[in-house]
Amino acid sequence: MTSALQATDLGKRYGRKWALNSCTLDIPTGRVVGLVGPNGAGKSTLLQLAVGLLTPSSGTITVLDERPASSAEQLGRIGYVAQDTPIYPGLSIGAHLHMGAALNSNWDAQLADRRIRDLALDPRQHAGRLSGGQRAQLALTLAIAKRPSLLLMDEPVAALDPLARREFLAILMEVVADQEVSVILSSHLVADLERVSDYLVVLAASQVQVNGDIEELLATHHRLVGSRREIDNFPDAVQVIESSHTERQSTVTVRSVDPILDPTWSVESLTLEDLVLAYMSQAEVQRRDLVRTNGGAR
Amino acid sequence: MIWFAWRQFRLQALVVAGVLVAVAVLFIVTGPSMLHLFDTSVANCRANSDCGAATTIFHDKYDKIVQFMTTISVIVPALLGIFWGAPLIARELESGTYRLAWTQGVMRSRWMVNKLAVVGGASMIAAGLLSWMLTWWATPLDIINQNRFGSMVYDTHYITPIGYAAFAFALGVTAGVLFRHTLPAMATTIVAFAAARLAFTSYIRPHLMSPVMKNISIKHATNFGFSRTPSGLQFIAGTSSYPNSLVVKSVVMGRHGATVTPQWLRLHCPKLIGPPPNASIGKVGSAPGGPQYFNACVNKIAQSFHIVMTYQPANRFWTFQWYETSIYVLAGVALCALSVWWVRRRVA
Repeated sequence: MTSALQATDLGKRYGRKWALNSCTLDIPTGRVVGLVGPNGAGKSTLLQLAVGLLTPSSGTITVLDERPASSAEQLGRIGYVAQDTPIYPGLSIGAHLHMGAALNSNWDAQLADRRIRDLALDPRQHAGRLSGGQRAQLALTLAIAKRPSLLLMDEPVAALDPLARREFLAILMEVVADQEVSVILSSHLVADLERVSDYLVVLAASQVQVNGDIEELLATHHRLVGSRREIDNFPDAVQVIESSHTERQSTVTVRSVDPILDPTWSVESLTLEDLVLAYMSQAEVQRRDLVRTNGGAR
Repeated sequence: MIWFAWRQFRLQALVVAGVLVAVAVLFIVTGPSMLHLFDTSVANCRANSDCGAATTIFHDKYDKIVQFMTTISVIVPALLGIFWGAPLIARELESGTYRLAWTQGVMRSRWMVNKLAVVGGASMIAAGLLSWMLTWWATPLDIINQNRFGSMVYDTHYITPIGYAAFAFALGVTAGVLFRHTLPAMATTIVAFAAARLAFTSYIRPHLMSPVMKNISIKHATNFGFSRTPSGLQFIAGTSSYPNSLVVKSVVMGRHGATVTPQWLRLHCPKLIGPPPNASIGKVGSAPGGPQYFNACVNKIAQSFHIVMTYQPANRFWTFQWYETSIYVLAGVALCALSVWWVRRRVA
């Protein structure tokens, strides 16, 4: 098994709008992948395609080298925590665990029971009365007690307060350390992902903007600051991500494997947040240009 | 999987089980006294073939409650479709829990087939139990009324309610899958179910087998009379009663298909005066123009005309019950198959 998730020219369309467009990705196994992008960028769509809740409008997607939801075994290998962590409000926590046991052949009842105990939850309690954080914990328990090879989580902490957020991510890291599981989790906040992930996918304007190992991405992205100038004279190996200009100064975010040696630039390193924001604002600029061009043609 | 389908359904099942128990208690309390009255009055009078008084007493005492329970029984399959069928999948789609259910280690189609089997099976069992209890309880009245093919008996007794329940349930599920919302699915279920039942009862049921035709003398008609129409008087002959049979059509007809026209009446019964304007249709002995003219005219009509009765005889009752039940169950199975296919291919 080489790929956790492999997508080729993957697209999903709702009516005339593409929620995800020509997405090509190859995410290796054994990573904790942060899938980041603004709201409506297609993160949920990508994850739902990966778990087989949606079917592609174009292209192909395989998860752990198999088509999503192609068999019960395949479904059993994927743990999925959906957005807003849906649960059955009328059923008790215990009934949810029974459900997991009844519907999954690899169900680890001991693990599930232990986690509910550790969370100090009463199995007889109705799931509808849980707090947001407890709900998310229950959903995570259901997903990991399947003993999945891949854990997909769609904005698992978006609805949680900062304390519950930190606790959730801490438990997630424990799980990752304990079990050999690949993780893909999405968020619109880089801060949530920074602590846990070692691989990044930036999704914006329905397209993958950048993806790769986080350390590698940080090592190859630079911020250049210098006197104001045109920026079309970089060598081919240097890719301009984003640029901004004031009256006297130009700031350029570039991707380059080789160090930038031009002495007229002062080279700064980027934080992960800077990097993500650079790609997102570039996508936004392109989207606006596209809208303006289309509008002008009409 | 079956276990979980049952676990989700348990509360709804308990509610209906409670209602069935309440109905059973009512029947057990009232049933024996109804049977006792029947045995002591109506059954005795039959030997002396004078049952008018006895049946009147019986009707006065039990008509209302039997009719009430029968009416409820007519609605029960629809209620099962609305409250068990429509929310079954729609609720999961609406609340988003389908994202939890469909990402467990079970294929979506299997998950759905199990749910359909558990709740659909329960619908049929519930309707079957109610019908069985009602059939037992209402036996005395059914014997008196001699109208097993009548809607109130045929549609609520024996096995047809099982078919209706299967169909209504499947209708609810299908509407829920298509609309993805419980409320519109419920509304659609009740409208579609009522439409299907009415259409089937009036247009399909009478022709499930080719009916029997019979000529009957007008003198053997149970009731006849005249009514006033804009074009003159109109002769009406009431359906001659064939106990427990289903009358498809009954017309008054002479040689070469002739009918009793107002012109014919003016010619042959000149002294006959119709009922006053806006009066209800004339009945036996309600003699427009006096009894002697009325009877003379009926005699004249009887010489040239007779009643042509088209009907399904009483001995076809069980054949019809099986036919109709099978058709509804098959329609239900087809709808279930459609919704499984839809959920696999089209939803989400």
